[in-house]
Amino acid sequence: MSMSSPPGSNQGSGKGDGMEHLDEMSCMLYLEGQLDRARAMEVSNHTQTCSACRTLLRAIERESRLLTRAMLEEEEPLPARIVTFQEKVHRSMQWIWMVTFGLAATAIYAMYTGYIEPWEQRLEQAGFGGTSLLSMLIFQGSFWKGWQSMLSLVEVLALVTIAGFAAFVLRKRFRRGSAVALVLASLGAAFSMPAPAAATEVRKGQAVEVRKDEVIKGNVFLSGKRVEVLGTVDGDVFAAGKDIEIDGHITGDLISAGRTVWIRGQVDGNVRSAGNTVTVVGKVGKNISYFGDTVAIDAKGSVDGSVMMFGSEVNIAGRLGRDVLFAGDRLFVNGTVGGSIDQKGSELEIGSSAQVDGAVRMEGEKEPVVSSGAKLASPVQFTKHVERHQEFGKRSGVWAGFLAAAFVLFGLVLFRVMPQFSLDATRAAESYGASIGLGVLVMFAVPIASLIACVTFVGLFVGLSTFVLWLIALYAAQTVVGTVIGQWILGRTTDIWGRIGRMALGVVLIRAVTLIPHGGWIKLAVLLWGMGAISLALYRRFQPPAMVPPAYLPPPLAPGASAPAV
Amino acid sequence: MDVQKPGRMNAADTRESSATVARARAGDAEAWGDLYRDYAPAIFRFCRRALPTREDAEDATMEIFMKIRDKLNQYDASRPFSAWLYRVAANHCWDMLRRRKIRQDKETDDFETVPLEHPDPSQLDQLIERRTSEEVRKALDKLGARARMALVLRYYSDMSYDEIADALGVRRAFVGVVLLRARHELRGALEGTGAMAAGGAR
Repeated sequence: MSMSSPPGSNQGSGKGDGMEHLDEMSCMLYLEGQLDRARAMEVSNHTQTCSACRTLLRAIERESRLLTRAMLEEEEPLPARIVTFQEKVHRSMQWIWMVTFGLAATAIYAMYTGYIEPWEQRLEQAGFGGTSLLSMLIFQGSFWKGWQSMLSLVEVLALVTIAGFAAFVLRKRFRRGSAVALVLASLGAAFSMPAPAAATEVRKGQAVEVRKDEVIKGNVFLSGKRVEVLGTVDGDVFAAGKDIEIDGHITGDLISAGRTVWIRGQVDGNVRSAGNTVTVVGKVGKNISYFGDTVAIDAKGSVDGSVMMFGSEVNIAGRLGRDVLFAGDRLFVNGTVGGSIDQKGSELEIGSSAQVDGAVRMEGEKEPVVSSGAKLASPVQFTKHVERHQEFGKRSGVWAGFLAAAFVLFGLVLFRVMPQFSLDATRAAESYGASIGLGVLVMFAVPIASLIACVTFVGLFVGLSTFVLWLIALYAAQTVVGTVIGQWILGRTTDIWGRIGRMALGVVLIRAVTLIPHGGWIKLAVLLWGMGAISLALYRRFQPPAMVPPAYLPPPLAPGASAPAV
Repeated sequence: MDVQKPGRMNAADTRESSATVARARAGDAEAWGDLYRDYAPAIFRFCRRALPTREDAEDATMEIFMKIRDKLNQYDASRPFSAWLYRVAANHCWDMLRRRKIRQDKETDDFETVPLEHPDPSQLDQLIERRTSEEVRKALDKLGARARMALVLRYYSDMSYDEIADALGVRRAFVGVVLLRARHELRGALEGTGAMAAGGAR
């Protein structure tokens, strides 16, 4: 095909009329569809007859294709930096997750210290009969003590990290964050709610009732200011309201939240409730578990199971089939208790008509008052309440090892998520003076600032998130300093795993050093230093010369920024 | 990973990506991550072709995506996303090159004149036929910034002449000239001597 054309044939100085050969520009523009209709026709017609120009046209077209092919070909893999940047873009949201986790953990911690811990402390003396697996697992001392000492503010973050890490892993499985959110939410729901069986009926209103002659097969949800069950429910009742009155018959459990719960009828299953008072005049077939103020079993009332109660007062005038497990203030017994009594609280009074078939154990501040007429299987075992300090853990080697591992894990996540930033922070840490100076400032200024933000106009969320980020930085401080120390020992490296190794070594050393007496001061120094280094790196990162390409996506500090600025 | 060219995306892809873009604009970081994953390889390769070194290309890719992130609300959703993406990328790379004045090396200011040399059709045909993609890429590396950029915009990003004119800051009427000159430069580089022109008469 490649005929050679006569010399000088392919000149195109004249804007080719039909007779002359086509110029190259026309050919190219023709191929690219840039010629007007008339000119395109000319070109087309000319190439019908002129093989030299056909060849030229073909060559140019080939050239275009060759160019496209050459440029499209992937002769080299996508650089790791681009890929990891990609992950970071992807992960930008995961910082929100981390923050959410942090906030959730803080909330849980606050709840724990505010509500659960006081009860738990009263209960810590083992010996509560295994009324339920839950109470045994959660409230039996030895199992719980380790957790208790762990839950100091900084250590909470160890758990958060592990949870966050789990979330990372989880997120590999689920592409959509919402799926994870769903899983987490349902997990939360699963923990907080008793498994709702195939629920059937829902009734809502100001005053809700199950009428006297009414029989409901299956479970029923009732909510209203006033909830009355006069008829029969052949299933569980979930009730919420100000006043809940059960005059009828429930064959399953009564699960309720309300200010007052009156049981004048019969509940064959358990009563699980939270609220102000529960009064039993009728009959409960199984146990009562109650979080609230008062549980009273009237002289006419009977409970075949046991009572587990966290609250202020239990008053038993009627008949109780089994044990009393009570953490709260006052316990009055003037009826029959078929099992034992365990109380952690301030007062215990056993009246003259009382009968207790099991042991009576009481730990509290006041000596129990036992009437002479009371029939007890054995004398009351009283333990004067003494504040004890849990010393498990922080000093024990196993625990220290666990914490060190958690720190290393945290550092690992940090290094993987923000390799560039961790490198910067480590570099910043090497300017000791600046870091420590800045560290002192940040260490104390940020919590104060976030506190101010919390109580003033700026808002709770800003304050809390700042504080949580500060906590994360506090935690990260040790990994940064650990890396520097590791570098002193093993020398520098830019390789990520090399740095992680140095970080691990350094962190273990720091943890070990802080275990020795006066280690607290070293720890403080480490925190100041690391904190300062992180702040310094952040500061440098946001320095005005914004033209310098940040090699990573901006900052965990602005979770909101992961959304494009609108 | 497949490289997408704006002109070669099918309708389903376009629909899907416009939905993703909409979500990303609304602040869905997940969608943003998807966009990055879908387009970063293409943009990296774009930068790799247009810029002198691999490091430049890596930096530029990340910078472009940061720009995109900030500018996402300026994107006109009625037009193809990838076209917009390439436009931002082109402007970024071109600015970068201009800042460095790389173009001074080879750029001549008379780009508005049509090349005077004309190739011999069959010689050109043979030259093209004998060249591998690899050789073309090497030759591209030797071109001046403008020529190179023009070829990338046209034959990689599939941009229209209007868009190229806009990106390179030349008049629309001269885009063809720039492209043709670029081809000549490329042929010269492929020949190693620039002797390609010798085959043609004046």
